[in-house]
Amino acid sequence: MLEIKNLKKEYKDDLVVTTALNGVSFLISEGDFVAIMGPSGSGKSTLMHIMGFLDRPSSGIYKFEGQKMDDLTDDELAYIRNEKMGFVFQFFNLLPRTSVFNNVGLPLTYTKISKHEREQRIKKAIDSVGLSHRIKHMPNQLSGGEQQRVAIARAIVNHPSVIFADEPTGNLDSKSGQQIMEILQNLNDDGHTIILVTHEQYTSEMAKRIIQLKDGKVINDTVVDHRRFAKDGLVK
Amino acid sequence: MNLKESIKISITALKANKTRSALTMLGIVIGIGAVILMMSLGKGAENLIVGQIQSLGSTSIYIEPGSFDSKGGTGFMESALEEMTIKTLTLKDVEAIRKDSLVDMVYPMVYGVGRAVYQSEDEKVTFLGITPEAYVMDDWHATIGRDISDEEVKGMARVATLGYKIAQDLFGNEDPISKTIRIKKTNFKVIGVMEERGMEMFQNYDEYVYVPVTTAQKLLLGIDHVNAITVQAVNEDVVPQLMENIRLILREAHNIYNPEGDLSKDDFKVMSQVEASDMMTQITGILTAFLSSIAAIALIVGGIGIMNIMLVSVTERTREIGLRKAVGARNKDILNQFLIESMTMTFFGGIIGFIDGILFSLLTSIVLSQVLNTSWSFVVPFGAVVLALGVAAIVGLAFGIYPAKKAAKLNPIEALRHE
Repeated sequence: MLEIKNLKKEYKDDLVVTTALNGVSFLISEGDFVAIMGPSGSGKSTLMHIMGFLDRPSSGIYKFEGQKMDDLTDDELAYIRNEKMGFVFQFFNLLPRTSVFNNVGLPLTYTKISKHEREQRIKKAIDSVGLSHRIKHMPNQLSGGEQQRVAIARAIVNHPSVIFADEPTGNLDSKSGQQIMEILQNLNDDGHTIILVTHEQYTSEMAKRIIQLKDGKVINDTVVDHRRFAKDGLVK
Repeated sequence: MNLKESIKISITALKANKTRSALTMLGIVIGIGAVILMMSLGKGAENLIVGQIQSLGSTSIYIEPGSFDSKGGTGFMESALEEMTIKTLTLKDVEAIRKDSLVDMVYPMVYGVGRAVYQSEDEKVTFLGITPEAYVMDDWHATIGRDISDEEVKGMARVATLGYKIAQDLFGNEDPISKTIRIKKTNFKVIGVMEERGMEMFQNYDEYVYVPVTTAQKLLLGIDHVNAITVQAVNEDVVPQLMENIRLILREAHNIYNPEGDLSKDDFKVMSQVEASDMMTQITGILTAFLSSIAAIALIVGGIGIMNIMLVSVTERTREIGLRKAVGARNKDILNQFLIESMTMTFFGGIIGFIDGILFSLLTSIVLSQVLNTSWSFVVPFGAVVLALGVAAIVGLAFGIYPAKKAAKLNPIEALRHE
């Protein structure tokens, strides 16, 4: 469902040209759980931003569900992000002074879905991350782990086919991180394609496949042999 | 996203910074309030003046010395000065006009200033030289004693009726009738005190002393001319015809050869009550527009305040903007969100400003009618509501568009990274 061919991204800053991606190619099929790994500066965040339609490549081809990104206008990209993609960020990015219910419902405010249907979806999404008892709380009344679960509920409320998670456990204690990974694995089991950016070896082994980047190039693309399952608990 | 939700979101955002939003709104409140106040007072002044002119009756015609400027339009101050100095109108003109069959009444007027003395009391007064018709036309008479009579005018009698206030100032509780006052070294017998009348057309009739026109001309001013002539037509329909008749009569009397009827060649001006009220409407209209535009400067300053705070808001909420874009907001959605936010602020500011402006003008009209002793009316000008809210929304739009565009153009990644 995701097809990337010889993707390049350069940033021009006055005189200096920085190459973030230098010819990346791979395919991701539906239902996969891919961890993108690499040291900082390897281009993994840039790659995820392009895959999530938040940025455009300098050259190369990116097809999402058969549609070439180059053919799509900014508004169409926004529409696809809204309909088919979900995002989870390292720093949660919840709206302050906005209830859990309204935070989760944010993507639906940009759709034409009826109010009733929205409420159903929001409640279901919050329920699926186990936060029904927190529905009226404000983000600052929640723990980090709970905030990230709200963010996941927000990512799945529009029933996306792909969920992009950018270092989702990077800002959490290991127990909360474990819970987040368990939710992501469950979502993957339900058929969602998941693309996870991480720099932790341990976390990446919970995916089905690991793509390693270095200096803007893929240096390794392997299937995980002994996949870890978050529900088995923390391995000491 | 629908409008209702957008407004809800913007109110939430504004509530998040209550003090800041309130102060920003205050700029709009003051701006709109000032404009409304000026408009309302201007309309009130217009109603007062025009109402007074109209109360004189639509059959009235005014004749003043001097000519219509050939360039068109007479300066208000210039014509007032001309009335004082130009000597072309006389009592003979009055008698000539009186002969016209369309004339119901006609009276001349002269005026001057001097000191009125009674025993130890000494007041500076304006005296008006009139004829008895003046009382009839204004339907205004002496409540104590009597009016000036025709015989007293003919006989150049040294009699005076006093305005209500000047009678009080000079005599206090004493009965002024048959007492003698001195104006410009001439003794006058007080024969009446006028009914209390108040301020009209910027003139306080209660402060004037009324004497026969002939007495005022010969004994007080030493002149042969009059300052103005007021004519009343037999009915409203003949006013235009009578105006033309008066012009012909006066041209003949003044030996002016003017068959084309070029008004700039005449040495007098004839104006109907309708024209006079139109002129005053025009003058007050210009004055109102002028004052309102000064008040509008406050509104522009308020608008700049809105723009300033919206720019701050965009910077503060960069992450929010990035997030909204990531979850599917188009540039247009972000633009609308911030525009609605600034417009919500100006809209509510407009409502509050409107209410404040109305309250202030109500207060001012009460004070004015007390101080000036006039029937100053409190008016909410037609369209003021529309103007207040419309202008407020336009200000919100005009000063909100730049910050909103800035927000809409933000790159989602940069916005998300923003700390």
